[in-house]
Amino acid sequence: MISLASYLIISMILFVIGLMVMIARKNIVAILLGIELVLNAAALNFVAYSKFVTNNLDGHIFALFIIVVAAAEAAVGLAIVIRFFQLKETIHVDEATQLRN
Amino acid sequence: MFLNTLFVMSALLTVVSAVLVLTTKNIMHSCVFLLGSLIGIAGLYATLGADFVAATQVMVYVGGVVILMLFAVMLTGGKDFVSKAQNLMGLAPTMGNAWTYGVSALVGLVFLFTNIQLLTRLGTMSKLKNDGAFESTVNKIGHLLVKDHILSFEISSVLLLGALVGAAIIARPRKQ
Repeated sequence: MISLASYLIISMILFVIGLMVMIARKNIVAILLGIELVLNAAALNFVAYSKFVTNNLDGHIFALFIIVVAAAEAAVGLAIVIRFFQLKETIHVDEATQLRN
Repeated sequence: MFLNTLFVMSALLTVVSAVLVLTTKNIMHSCVFLLGSLIGIAGLYATLGADFVAATQVMVYVGGVVILMLFAVMLTGGKDFVSKAQNLMGLAPTMGNAWTYGVSALVGLVFLFTNIQLLTRLGTMSKLKNDGAFESTVNKIGHLLVKDHILSFEISSVLLLGALVGAAIIARPRKQ
């Protein structure tokens, strides 16, 4: 039951769903949710490989750095979303058409 | 057996919650389902013996990122969010209705009985021999972080500082 293939299949499903969320949703916060799902799929792959293939802890370290980067990305992304809402009164992604003001 | 059960439950939680993140219409519900998916991934880390990564996942994502997402959703709700005054069968103004309170009572009872079952066996569980299948990885990860990966550790601290300052500058209110 617990094998490398099952973890890879779960990771694949998560990645595909995250990609579909990023594509299908028009809300910017929902796009950030999709990015979180994709990053988690990658981190799960790293930890699964470090358990079943390499037998050391480098995959764990990499998963921790992925979590750190995802946290920073979420903070900056949500700050941009809030600023965008202050300017446009909406967070629909099609409204983001110009770089300044 | 225990590991298999944990694996199946975590995998189901992860995948079903991820599908619900995709299909639900309400962005608030999407955030809550993402919470379930991330908790499921923490369970998968636990089945892989990565205890430190699982704990970090729960602390950073469930305690930080999803709460931040919920704050952003609430701050950017605009006029789409119409607050409906809900009450409990006309008795008192509450934050939910009879259905939500019934579900929460059911979940609370399940957790209560599970905890009682675990706590009553605590005396016998401590006598069980640890077979050493999983040993704690915290020590080794700490050594690796300050020996082999010290440069990336420092770079990530600078990245977090930059993200902090950048987020504060981007989101600050501006005088028009």
